[in-house]
Amino acid sequence: MADGRYSFSLTTFSPSGKLVQIEHALTAVNQGITSIGIKAANGIVIATEKKSSSPLVDDKTLEKVTMICKNIGLVYSGMGPDARVLVDKARKAAQEYKKIYMEEPPTLILVTEIATVMQEFTQSGGVRPFGVSVLVAGFDEKGPSLYQIDPSGSYFAWKATAIGKNMINAKTFLEKRYNEQMEIDDAIHTAIITLKEGFEGAMTDNSLEIGICYCEDEEFSLPGEAGFVEGGKKIRKVGKFRKLVNEEVKDYLANIA
Amino acid sequence: MSIMSYNGGAIVAMKGKNCVAIASDRRFGVQALTLTHDFQKVFEINDKIYIGLGGLATDVQTLSETFRYRVNMYNLKEEREIQPKTFAHLVSSTLYEKRFGPYYCEPVIAGLEKDGSPFICSTDLIGCTTFPNDFVVTGTAEQQLYGMCESLWEPNLEPEDLFEIISQALLNAVDRDAVSGWGAIVHVITEDKVITRTLRGRMD
Amino acid sequence: MEILFGFVGKDYALTASDNTAARSIVVQKRGEDKSRILSKHTLLSYNGEAGDTCQFSDYIAANIKLYEIKNGVALSTAACTKFTRRELANSLRSRNAYQVNLLISGSDPKTGVPSLFWLDHLASANKVNYTAHGYASYFILSTMDLYWHENLTLEEGLGLVKKCLKELKIRFIGNLPDFFIKVVDKNGIREIKL
Repeated sequence: MADGRYSFSLTTFSPSGKLVQIEHALTAVNQGITSIGIKAANGIVIATEKKSSSPLVDDKTLEKVTMICKNIGLVYSGMGPDARVLVDKARKAAQEYKKIYMEEPPTLILVTEIATVMQEFTQSGGVRPFGVSVLVAGFDEKGPSLYQIDPSGSYFAWKATAIGKNMINAKTFLEKRYNEQMEIDDAIHTAIITLKEGFEGAMTDNSLEIGICYCEDEEFSLPGEAGFVEGGKKIRKVGKFRKLVNEEVKDYLANIA
Repeated sequence: MSIMSYNGGAIVAMKGKNCVAIASDRRFGVQALTLTHDFQKVFEINDKIYIGLGGLATDVQTLSETFRYRVNMYNLKEEREIQPKTFAHLVSSTLYEKRFGPYYCEPVIAGLEKDGSPFICSTDLIGCTTFPNDFVVTGTAEQQLYGMCESLWEPNLEPEDLFEIISQALLNAVDRDAVSGWGAIVHVITEDKVITRTLRGRMD
Repeated sequence: MEILFGFVGKDYALTASDNTAARSIVVQKRGEDKSRILSKHTLLSYNGEAGDTCQFSDYIAANIKLYEIKNGVALSTAACTKFTRRELANSLRSRNAYQVNLLISGSDPKTGVPSLFWLDHLASANKVNYTAHGYASYFILSTMDLYWHENLTLEEGLGLVKKCLKELKIRFIGNLPDFFIKVVDKNGIREIKL
């Protein structure tokens, strides 16, 4: 049944006009661990709790905030294995783009690429929708941007948002706390206290993952640079994504208590 | 007899001061036989980028259509104009796609970057790019063009002077090539406009 | 040894093609019409490798006809040329490329403006006022250089054809006694006997 031309899509319209499989997928996301995304004036912050099922798990190996390419990173809520597949595809799409244009992809291009993959999994035969929502943080020539992509393949741009188990409370909290002038530092702070709202147990640098997108000056060589002095080295702004290391997270946590 | 010189032709692009120029001859012929004097070898990508395609005429036409298609798709998808450097890499990867059955075409690209600085680039038929600081040439009159450009070009030419230099370089180069010439077309790209002029050369 | 040439006149496009089907040194047939009607106002004339010419021309003619049936509107002469060029260019990079040289002549059904396109076996396409394929081009392009002008009436045009054929008779080694002369104008395609 699952192969050949008679393998119809699992996602079939119900008589009421709904695609129930997609709604189930969203339910899976809403049971997932909370993730936060905040757009600051000078960048993006994405954050999530790192929760392991047993204290015996080596939580250094868990990774939910991941880099896609130099200027883009994402965090997911929902099913880890599904997210890994998506991350693989996103990284591949980013490198394919770079292979053609020798340039990092703009955030929106990568977002549509991921969204297209997720949509295809709601319409193809023999597959099921992804059980994840992702928050994509990117910095391109238009500046910082934050997108959410759902299992249906629809995507939205946010100033601040949350996905996963505690998203309703987190969003209400963010609505109160958000202002457009805040910088990355404040946004990290806000992200942490938002997560703290629904946090069970003590929050440590090991139970928190944070990624930031920001802008950096980079020296670049002119075309045909060899021996070329006129005008000299040029500086350009480039978008960067990186994860905060434990020490940094620790510092931010110290400021909260 | 190389397939690259089957139809003949000469293209040159030069940097100026906040401007850039690209010029080509207009002959279309089959080996020594001249058939038309209005063959298009330089194509507009947008009002800041032009590409000249030298080499086998059929591939000039096929590639110009391919680039138009790819740039149109880029504009629609990304909702922005492609930049010269990005376009040069698009050209390069398009050519390398056919590494083992190449288009017999060596493009030159001329454009202005976002900050208004001039950009020129040339690639070989499988997409190996070079980004010189003075001029690029391609076509059957390549060697003659190198000679002319080497002696006429100087840095920081104003648009009108650049026009004069590139025109003289091209017209005098093609006079020493049997399969190039029969008129020329010159585009000078500046910040606010593109000056396009067609020239009559020796029409015999 | 085949001869194919054409030009645009004041309100018509004319093509002349020899009517000989030959293999090597042997004449197989006289009276072969080496052209296909693409639409009411567009004519495709060809020469080249024997099998390829018919195969390719039939394929192009069928597809352009299909377009007309599907969409209820005929392709313009320029569009026919673009399509034909693309098909030929794609075939060029296959294992067995079609070896055909083509002229596409036509007339705009509304304005009556004539046009003529030259395509070679490599799929280079050119819009031309007068042109020729094969050995003939070495003899009669210069004749047309001298006598062609923009406002050729049909009568003058036929005079030009005669001049070209005379030149060929004098200087060309091939024995090509008879020609198909086809005119495309506002009223469609028709054959003219000299």
